[in-house]
Amino acid sequence: MELTRRRLLGAVGAGVAASALSAVPAKAATRIRHYWWGNPERDKRTFAVIETFQKANAGIEVSGETIGWGDYWTKMATQTAGRNMADLVQMDYRYLFEYVRRGALKPLDEYVGKSLMIKDFDQGPIAGGMVDGKLYALNIGSNSQVIVHNTRVFKEAGVDVDLINWTWDDFARACEQITAKSDGKVKGSDDLSLMIETFESWVRQNGREFYGADGKVAATVDDVASYWQMWANLRKKDVVRSKDKTVILDPPIAESGVAVGDTAMSHYWSNQLVGIQAVAKDKIGAAMVPHKKGGKPGQFIKPSMFMSLSRDTKDPESAIKYMNAWVTDPAITKILGLERGIPASKAVRDALAPGLNETEKLSVAYFDAIQSKVGALPLPAPKGAGEVRDAFMRIGTSVVLDRAKVKDAAEQFIADASDIVERAQ
Amino acid sequence: MSRGSTSPLKASFMRRFIARNAPAYAFLTPWLLGFFLLALGPILASLYLSFTRYDMVNAPKWVGLANYEYMFTRDRRFWKALNVTFTYVALAVPARLIMALGVAMLLDKGLRTIGLYRAIFYLPSLLGASIAIAILWRQLFAADGVVNAVLGYFGIQGAAWITNPDTSLYTLVVLAMWQFGSPMLIFLAGLRGIPKDLYEAAEIDGTPKWRQFTRITLPLLAPVIFFNLVLQTIEAFKTFSSAFIISNGTGAPADSLLFYTVYLFNEAFKFFRMGYASALAWVLLIIIAIFTAISFLTSKYWVHYENERD
Repeated sequence: MELTRRRLLGAVGAGVAASALSAVPAKAATRIRHYWWGNPERDKRTFAVIETFQKANAGIEVSGETIGWGDYWTKMATQTAGRNMADLVQMDYRYLFEYVRRGALKPLDEYVGKSLMIKDFDQGPIAGGMVDGKLYALNIGSNSQVIVHNTRVFKEAGVDVDLINWTWDDFARACEQITAKSDGKVKGSDDLSLMIETFESWVRQNGREFYGADGKVAATVDDVASYWQMWANLRKKDVVRSKDKTVILDPPIAESGVAVGDTAMSHYWSNQLVGIQAVAKDKIGAAMVPHKKGGKPGQFIKPSMFMSLSRDTKDPESAIKYMNAWVTDPAITKILGLERGIPASKAVRDALAPGLNETEKLSVAYFDAIQSKVGALPLPAPKGAGEVRDAFMRIGTSVVLDRAKVKDAAEQFIADASDIVERAQ
Repeated sequence: MSRGSTSPLKASFMRRFIARNAPAYAFLTPWLLGFFLLALGPILASLYLSFTRYDMVNAPKWVGLANYEYMFTRDRRFWKALNVTFTYVALAVPARLIMALGVAMLLDKGLRTIGLYRAIFYLPSLLGASIAIAILWRQLFAADGVVNAVLGYFGIQGAAWITNPDTSLYTLVVLAMWQFGSPMLIFLAGLRGIPKDLYEAAEIDGTPKWRQFTRITLPLLAPVIFFNLVLQTIEAFKTFSSAFIISNGTGAPADSLLFYTVYLFNEAFKFFRMGYASALAWVLLIIIAIFTAISFLTSKYWVHYENERD
């Protein structure tokens, strides 16, 4: 029985991986593959890194494979099933647990201190790559939530608050002020009703994690209802972006309100500051996610990207050599800059400091400013977290379009989310 | 072929059969290999997988009928997906067929440049399945898109067609209507096959055009309509790429574009539930089979073939 089942599986795998397999050459002694999700800027830098590495390590050939975030995990899942993962894969905090639990990654502990030199790393970023007490993912950058805002509009509207310590009341007032001053041409903010990342901070401000230590949904109906109600109030005052823009899911950066110019604020991750400035007309600034009066810290610093060693690697020694170069070789860390987030090594950060441009300086300054205002890194999300995110956007859409009452929708979401997580285990 | 071969003759028959057909099978080998390895194999594997829980990494675990049970008893999105898909099929198939027949009849007037027109009208169908058209469609029907700009000239305040769950599905029906090319070509061939003297006789009798259409064109075209109906229904059930692109791959807004195939894709490649997705695929196969069977069963009441004797 076991044999036939496996044979059947093989047949499926062969079909699925047929195209990918055909691309693999017969045998290359020291050839490693590196797979990452990217954008034009990131790809340019990464290929430059590969070139630099190959020059210094004549015996190792690195082949880079890149694709956008949208298709990245689909392709990865297919390659994982076909036992054809790249030696080194870029990993995200949200997916780390899932891939470790499915047995797709190798722990790095045996290399640490021998061929992987990460002694001067901050403790936070290291801990973020641990699962069940083992290191499965090397931090290649950290980031945090950020409210990106248009500094020109802020100035013209006379918004003058402390953007690190401000509260949700300040936020609402700023939205009203901006909308009024521009005669409604520029609305205060994007409507973040569908942004589960902002909502996660909201839940933490209420003193809970979205997912409890047992991996179950710990956010309450009240958390969801109060969050959606706040945005409903702002919609009623007409100080946030129009509904039909709000319900477009995961729009590209260039279509965000801050980039287009029809709103003055939006929610992003701090390593995206460079990318947003590139498409925005006015100079952008960085504010924290507003706090709750008397609430707990909601925001946190999270590893933005990891590099992980896959189960399918044939030459772990060479792969680790490459990985080590990413976080220690000055020539390489210089090419990478802050594009993937703030480096975890103090030595690397210090070396980079003099050569930073204005936006990069902004992200470093922002990073320094929030250090004492953030809470602990939440546990990695359980299996099913991606689907919960979809459910949040789906049910949130009904709320934004007035097709569901806030309270009913909140109940529905918590029920669905609990169901999804339970089914995924 | 030689019939009723008795057992002593069987061996020589087999030899002859092989000798005669071996070259054919030799030439067919690439196709046969492809069929067994890339089509039949995976199809049977998916039937097996539909009774398992399979995340693409760990070996499939047998769960019996659990996938089907969850689908029919607990999965609200499954029913939502069926609802969306059936609504779409019910609207898009007739819309496309009527459009196709209408244009085919216009082109059947014996124009000299018919080749050119045929090509022009067929073009959208060639482009239709492409990603680019889906993206174009999204732009056309966006709140600040071309459609609303044109409506604006007439003083009409257009809706946000794509992002409003009440209207999003209809934009796809319009897209389907626009891609009437292939049924149109088949209709055109069918219309050409209707003897002209029937119309001439009707003219002489003073039969109005409308009656000519209902009494001559439709009955004689019935086999072609039937063929198009079956084909287009199957096609409509399988609609994927346009819905996937326009809804950002999720069936948004508010699941109003949650086509069955989009749901299936998400279950398989986003949430790694290969077993469940396989079960969904088999249910879709059965639904399409039932619809095709119904079409065939009812066809004898409205489709008549010329060489058929009553």
